[in-house]
Amino acid sequence: MNFKLNPKLSQKIAYAVLFLSTILVIIPVLIIVFNIVKNGYSAISWEFLTTMPKDGMRAGGILPAILGTLSIVLCAIMITLPVGVCAAIYLNEYAKDNLLTRIIKLAIVNLAGVPSVVYGLFGLGIFVMLLGCGVSIIAGALTLSIMELPVIITTARGALNSVPYAFREASWSLGVSRWQTIRHIVLPNALPGIMTGAILSIARISGETAPILFTAAAFYVPHLPKSMFDQVMALPYHLYIISTQIPNMPKNIIFGTALVLLMLVLSMSLIAIVARIYFRKIRKW
Amino acid sequence: MVDKIKVNNLCCFYGGKEVISSLNINVVKNEILSIIGPSNSGKTSFLRTLNRMNDMNVNFSRKGNIFLDDENIFDMNPENLRKRVGMLFAMPIPLPMSIYDNISYAPKRLGIASNRNMDEVVEKSLRDSSLWDEVKDRLNSSAIKLSGGQQQRLCIARILAIEPEVILFDEPCSGLDPISTAKVEEAMLKLKEKYTIVLVTNNVKQASRVGTRTAFFLMGELVEIDNTAKLFVSPRDKRTGDYITGRFG
Repeated sequence: MNFKLNPKLSQKIAYAVLFLSTILVIIPVLIIVFNIVKNGYSAISWEFLTTMPKDGMRAGGILPAILGTLSIVLCAIMITLPVGVCAAIYLNEYAKDNLLTRIIKLAIVNLAGVPSVVYGLFGLGIFVMLLGCGVSIIAGALTLSIMELPVIITTARGALNSVPYAFREASWSLGVSRWQTIRHIVLPNALPGIMTGAILSIARISGETAPILFTAAAFYVPHLPKSMFDQVMALPYHLYIISTQIPNMPKNIIFGTALVLLMLVLSMSLIAIVARIYFRKIRKW
Repeated sequence: MVDKIKVNNLCCFYGGKEVISSLNINVVKNEILSIIGPSNSGKTSFLRTLNRMNDMNVNFSRKGNIFLDDENIFDMNPENLRKRVGMLFAMPIPLPMSIYDNISYAPKRLGIASNRNMDEVVEKSLRDSSLWDEVKDRLNSSAIKLSGGQQQRLCIARILAIEPEVILFDEPCSGLDPISTAKVEEAMLKLKEKYTIVLVTNNVKQASRVGTRTAFFLMGELVEIDNTAKLFVSPRDKRTGDYITGRFG
C-alpha cells in the first residue's frame, strides 16, 4: 500500500508535536513551583528567616542554614571566579593549539562530567582529611569551587570570544602589548558575560547537596558560624534532613524551607538576566 | 633618496602554501608606495608581514629578511616594531570607547604622553588626519557613532598619536564612498611629508592619484615597480598594462 500523508496534515502534526513538547517543558516547573508555594507560604515569616530552629527543628527559623549556604557559596565563588577567569584568559588569548592545551581542554570537559557526589568524596579526602580543614565552610567552599571551575572557564571563554578579534588586532597594531590589550580592551568588554556566568554559577551551587554533605554541612549547629573552619548548616542539606530524618515534622516548614531555597536560586538567576539585559543595552558596538 | 624599508628575498607561506615568492623591494623615505594587483596576489600578506601582524597566525611562516633603517625587523620586539610601523585596516575599527579615548589609548599604554599634554596630542592627531573640525565639540561621545569615513580618519589619528615612522594602509577606502575616499586621500598626501607610507589598494585610480611609486603584484610576485606616472603611461610588462587598463583582475 502506498501510504502518503497529505502535506497540510503532516505540517499540522509536526506543529502539534513541537508545540506540545515545548508545553511539556513548562508544566513540571509550574507544578513544582505551585506545589511548593501552596504548601510552604504559610511558614514564611520574618521570624522564620531570622531565628534559630527550636524543638528539634520542628519549630523556629532556619537562619543558620541560610547563613551557612550563603557563606559557603560566597567563599566558593571568590575562589573559583579568579582562577577560572585567569585560566580562560590563558586558554583563549595565549595558549597555542598543542598537546598540553588539548589535554587541558579535555580535562575541563571531563571535570564538568564528574558526578557531584564524587566531588564530595574528593573534598572529604583532600580538604577535610589531607589538608586538615576539617568539616568546615572552607572545605565545602573549596570542593564547590573545584566543581564549578569548568563551568566558569567555559562561560568566561564564551564571553572573551564574543569580543571581536578586530579589537585585539587594532590594539596590537598600535604597539600595545598582548597583556595590555587584554586588560584594557578584552576584559572590560567581556566582563558582562563573565559576571552573568558567575551569577548563574552561584545559583547552581547554592542548591548543591552532595559536595557539601561530607565537607561542610552539619545536622544541627546550635550557634551561628564564627569562622571559616566552623561546620555549618546548609539549606539543601537541612531540607534533606527535615524531610527524611525527623519524625512528626510540620509539612509547612519543609515546604517553607524549600521555598526559601527556591527563591534564593531564582533571585540569583533573575539578577543574572537583568544584568545581561542592562549590559546589552549599554554595549557600545 | 634614502631607503626606509628594504626587503631581501622574502618568501611567505600560509600552511605550506607560498603566497609571496622571493620578493625584493624597497620603500623610500617619505614616499607613498602604492601596491596594486588582483586579489590573492600577496599584497595584504606583504603588508601584514611588514609590521609582523602575521606573527599571530600560527599557520604563517616566512624566509628572508626585512630591514627598517638597516635593522632587521625579525630581530626586533614586535611591540616596538608596531609602534614604529603603524597599520590602518581595510574596515575602520574604532575601539568601543569615546573619540578622545580612542586616540589617547595607545599613547597612555606606551607611556608616550603624560596626562597633562594628552589634550595636545589628541588635538594634533585629529588635525593631521583632517577630522578635528568635525568632532572637536563631541570628543567624549562614542567613536562607534561616527560615519565610516570619519571612523577611518579617526583610526589614522590613532596611529598618528603614537608618532610612527611608517604607516601601512590596507585598502583603507574599500568600504567608503567617493567623498570620504577623497578626504582619506587628502589626509594621506598631507602625511607623506612626515611619514613613509605603503598603500595597498584594489583601486587602480587611487594608486595613480596618490602614489609616488607604484608596484604591481601578481600571484605572489612583484611584476613591476616604477614611478607612478611612468608605470601608468608606459608599463614595461604586458601584464601590468593589461591590469591597469582593466583587461583582467
